[in-house]
Amino acid sequence: MTVTNEPTRVAHAKARDSLLYLDGVSVSFDGFKALRGLSLVIEPGEMRAIIGPNGAGKTTMMDVITGKTKPDSGDVYFAGDTDLTRMDEASIASLGIGRKFQKPTVFESHTVWDNIDLALAGVRKPFATLFHRTTKAEIARVEEILETIRLIDKRDWLAANLSHGQKQWLEIGMLLAQEPRLLLVDEPAAGMTDAETAETAILLKEIAKTKSVVVVEHDMTFVRDLGVKVTVLHEGSVLSEGSLDVVSADPKVIEVYLGR
Amino acid sequence: MVDMISRFKTLLATLALVFLAAVPAAHADDLKPLVDGLGKSGYAALKDAVGALAATGDPAVAPILQSLSAGDLYVRKSDRAVFAATKAEGGYKLTDPATGADAGTAASGEIDKIKVNNAVREAVTAARGSLTLMSPDIAKRRAAAAEMFRNGDPAQIPLLDQALAKETDAGIAATLQLARAAAILKSDQPDADKIAAIAVLQAKGGRDVLGQLTAIEASSTDGAVKAAAANALSSIRGTLKLWDGAQNILYGVSLGSVLLLAAIGLAITFGVMGVINMAHGEMVMLGAYTTFVVQELIRNNVPWLFDWSLAIALPLAFLVAGLVGVLIERMVIRFLYGRPLETLLATWGVSLILQQAVRTWFGPNNREVGNPSWMSGAFELGNLTITYNRMWIVVFSLVVFAALMLVLKRTAFGLQTRAVTQNRPMASSMGIRTPWVDALTFGLGSGIAGIAGVALSQIDNVSPNLGQGYIIDSFMVVVFGGVGNLWGTLVGAFTLGIANKFLEPYAGAVLGKILVLVFIILFIQKRPRGLFALKGRAVEA
Amino acid sequence: MITAFILRALDRRTSIVLAVILGIGILLPVLNLATDPSSPFHVPTYVLTLLGKYLTYALLALSVDLVWGFCGILSLGHGAFFALGGYGMGMYLMRQIGDRGTYGNPILPDFMVFLNWKELPWFWYGFDHFWFAALIVLLAPGLLAFVFGWFAFRSRVTGVYLSIITQAMTYALLLAFFRNDMGFGGNNGLTDFKDILGFDIQADATRGALFFASAAALALGFWICRAVIASKFGKVLVAVRDAESRTRFIGYRVEGYKLVVWTLSAMMAGVAGALYVPQIGIINPGEFAPANSIEAVIWVAVGGRGTLIGPIVGALLVNFGKTWFTSGMLAEYWLFVLGGLFVLVTLFLPKGVVGSLMTKGSRKPVEKPIEDVVAPGVAAGQAAE
Ligand SMILES: Nc1ncnc2c1ncn2[C@@H]1O[C@H](COP(=O)(O)OP(=O)(O)O)[C@@H](O)[C@H]1O
Ligand SMILES: [Mg+2]
Repeated sequence: MTVTNEPTRVAHAKARDSLLYLDGVSVSFDGFKALRGLSLVIEPGEMRAIIGPNGAGKTTMMDVITGKTKPDSGDVYFAGDTDLTRMDEASIASLGIGRKFQKPTVFESHTVWDNIDLALAGVRKPFATLFHRTTKAEIARVEEILETIRLIDKRDWLAANLSHGQKQWLEIGMLLAQEPRLLLVDEPAAGMTDAETAETAILLKEIAKTKSVVVVEHDMTFVRDLGVKVTVLHEGSVLSEGSLDVVSADPKVIEVYLGR
Repeated sequence: MVDMISRFKTLLATLALVFLAAVPAAHADDLKPLVDGLGKSGYAALKDAVGALAATGDPAVAPILQSLSAGDLYVRKSDRAVFAATKAEGGYKLTDPATGADAGTAASGEIDKIKVNNAVREAVTAARGSLTLMSPDIAKRRAAAAEMFRNGDPAQIPLLDQALAKETDAGIAATLQLARAAAILKSDQPDADKIAAIAVLQAKGGRDVLGQLTAIEASSTDGAVKAAAANALSSIRGTLKLWDGAQNILYGVSLGSVLLLAAIGLAITFGVMGVINMAHGEMVMLGAYTTFVVQELIRNNVPWLFDWSLAIALPLAFLVAGLVGVLIERMVIRFLYGRPLETLLATWGVSLILQQAVRTWFGPNNREVGNPSWMSGAFELGNLTITYNRMWIVVFSLVVFAALMLVLKRTAFGLQTRAVTQNRPMASSMGIRTPWVDALTFGLGSGIAGIAGVALSQIDNVSPNLGQGYIIDSFMVVVFGGVGNLWGTLVGAFTLGIANKFLEPYAGAVLGKILVLVFIILFIQKRPRGLFALKGRAVEA
Repeated sequence: MITAFILRALDRRTSIVLAVILGIGILLPVLNLATDPSSPFHVPTYVLTLLGKYLTYALLALSVDLVWGFCGILSLGHGAFFALGGYGMGMYLMRQIGDRGTYGNPILPDFMVFLNWKELPWFWYGFDHFWFAALIVLLAPGLLAFVFGWFAFRSRVTGVYLSIITQAMTYALLLAFFRNDMGFGGNNGLTDFKDILGFDIQADATRGALFFASAAALALGFWICRAVIASKFGKVLVAVRDAESRTRFIGYRVEGYKLVVWTLSAMMAGVAGALYVPQIGIINPGEFAPANSIEAVIWVAVGGRGTLIGPIVGALLVNFGKTWFTSGMLAEYWLFVLGGLFVLVTLFLPKGVVGSLMTKGSRKPVEKPIEDVVAPGVAAGQAAE
């Protein structure tokens, strides 16, 4: 949409007081443009819902932010002036960007407890983990998170044995344990029962009190439950932005969702 | 080398004998006094006698001179007559050197060997050249001209001129020209002539003239001649380098075609289906053994069909290997889809079983697989030598590649294969019987490996270990070219083949191979998906 | 810190395993040396040597399991590390021969005299000292693994691609060591050893000591592996095995972890090779053969990867079987058995003997199979990842 060619210095200035700043990001796969000049700004503490039809580029956008995919062009800045395009996944994660995948991925052969313990902010270097001894504070923190995600009584279960919804929560719990400043959540409600979906919305809102969150979702009721600013992606760029009501009244959005 | 020379000598001696027998006696009588002249003592006298013999221009002189330089001529002390003598019981058996007629025997004390020194030997050589240069036999003249060229004796220039004037065969005339040029270079003729001679040699080019030019370059003190020689040398060396390069490329293409054949089946099972088939090499081996069996049957029953044995073996090898492939897919691999590492182990097990089965059946040793007549021999192309079997294998590999492309791109089966590998659930919901397609695709890949085995049986030992030798190379080719891309396999095979052959002269065969392996290992680090990588989600999981 | 780390791993089960290994390591040599050959308790020397060989195989299997079972790196080249360790020891043993070789040269090993070499190549310096050789036994495989892993893991070569290039690595080394001018004895390798640390290498007591050393090395290897696996580091390894990119997104730099465990594993394999050589009496390029490396993998698969007892049990089982088979009339059929083992274990016993028993004994489920069953199309992708 906003394919701007501003010099980087100006971009910087704009980026300075945002938490996440994407400008003119393009990604193509073998000539197919998955993102075309995508621009997006997330303020500190903001919660944002991203919607858009399948193939709009939502997951690709998260790949770019988390360092999995390098953009062909465009700027991606975090917390003002940290250039994410130059960093790998691990260092981006250490900066405080957590990500939940579309398909829940937890460490299946680890217990619920170990899953959270691994995600816990702190030691990351090989030799540090080799000689690390779990502290009381860490134990308390893991327990606290398990309470939050309602899995405290399943602490010794292998993650493989959890239900789909429980895995989603476990993954959110792992995100919390990372203590990120920004959470990227890809389709958290996919494959959940209605009750689970509602609970998930509550959980996310609670999290959003202390952190910035970007949620990608298809489910409109879920987005309505969140009640936050919405960005509509279409064919790799922003189609519309605003509250859900504003967005759903936008003729371009109606065209894309209902038209043709 | 030495062996060759001695064999050549015996050949010459036999020829000489045959020739002697054919010479009319009257003729020989005229020679007799001249031959006896060889018995005079003193090297100078001997040299003169040789000259006198040569001056007759009689072809019968040549074998006599040959015997002389071979040390077979003796002089009888009693009458100073000259004979050819061979050791026999109680002394020597004598023959007339000109006619070959039996001349009785002699005790070893009764005769003296006619000794020759280098000067005499040179005279003999020159004399023989002059004799044969005029011979009515074209082959003799050709050989003589070539010999004159090798010797480059300035004393022979008039003779060469004479021969040139008479010579009607263009090829021989050209050689004579060269011989003349070589002789001029060693003579004390004016520089201009020498420079012209250098030009003649340079125009001929090739390894033969290098020696002569190097000699003149080294020995010449005259600036212009030296420069001309140096010039000619560098130009010839340059050309030779080009030819060497071409030869290397040729070897490389040949190796590349072998790699392509070995890898192309794998490009399907691994590249298209994602199955790590460690038993791939054994499919190649099965193809080779099928060829062996077919040839055995033909040899024992219908020998005249032998030239067709490969053509008959091809479809059979495809069937045998393909069938085994389908069995493996149905019995083992289909349970392991999506677990590539386990597939790798299981198919390794299959490969051990197949190897042992063949070993039990056919024995552990190499089996003899013959080349049909059209696969044997070689031909020359410029300075290159190309063997027929290598050439046909290159052609064959390309044909197989093209046929495979056609099958995958143009047939319904190919379409279904691609559909299944790209989106299994979708393909299956469109009514494609995916298990069938899996089995047949695997069978196709294996069958092609079998076909490769037929070709490789022509250049490799057919033993139970045949496949082992190819498996790592095949994987390297497929991975290097880019998994899932047949063109990549093609380019990968020839690139690696040529690279290997270019490294060989510098590093030796083994080290060259090691270098290529190391190169691929490093290359995969840089481009984990190979030369022609498929991008996209499908390959990322 | 390190002692704490090591001691922490010493739970009851580990202690029992260590005690059993060390117990056998002491008992058998004692039975060999202290009993009369006619006694029913006597252990003949050849049995001791054979079992000693198995123990080194078990250590090799353990090292393969550490990377494959716990980190998902299927190495088809661990035989290379084993052989490098073996060559390190072999070079020491060669120099110990001194002037007792056929050619009686006090410095040069026989094969060098035979090749008409005039002086010792520089890379043979120092091997007259045991400590130096011991260091090389660790460092040579470690360094190779480090360099190889540095490149491979950084550029994220994983899965079958990694397996294939490890195989290419050992194959390249095989070719290299076959060359005479490499200076490692070419085709024939290193052999005709006389003594080790001054003791006759053929003597029963030396054999007993070597057997004990093998058992001790295995026990130590087991202990270290146990400590690694029990640490948070070990948990990260398993996380990498289960979901590599998830681990990255939590903030772990996966390549570092792989590199550490890969190098450690290679060093263990090197030690195994170094203990193997004096007991077998020879090391030659054949040890680099890709088939050897894959065979080690099958020991692990049979025993049960992802358990630490599994590889030990597997190595012992398969090699007992091999010895039994190849010494009888059935020798010819051994490859059928081995091949069948590969197929059957992967198809029907993915957790191996120990893994399956542990699941049956059901304290808690040990592990899921490493990858879920996915369609072949996706498999192609996984192969690439
Ligand atoms: N690695 C990739 N290779 C090829 N195409 C891709 C890749 N990643 C995404 N795409 C394509 O980019 C488009 C956007 O995908 P995605 O970001 O997953 O959409 P969404 O999450 O909005 O459904 C899709 O058409 C998808 O096929
Ligand atoms: Mg998506």
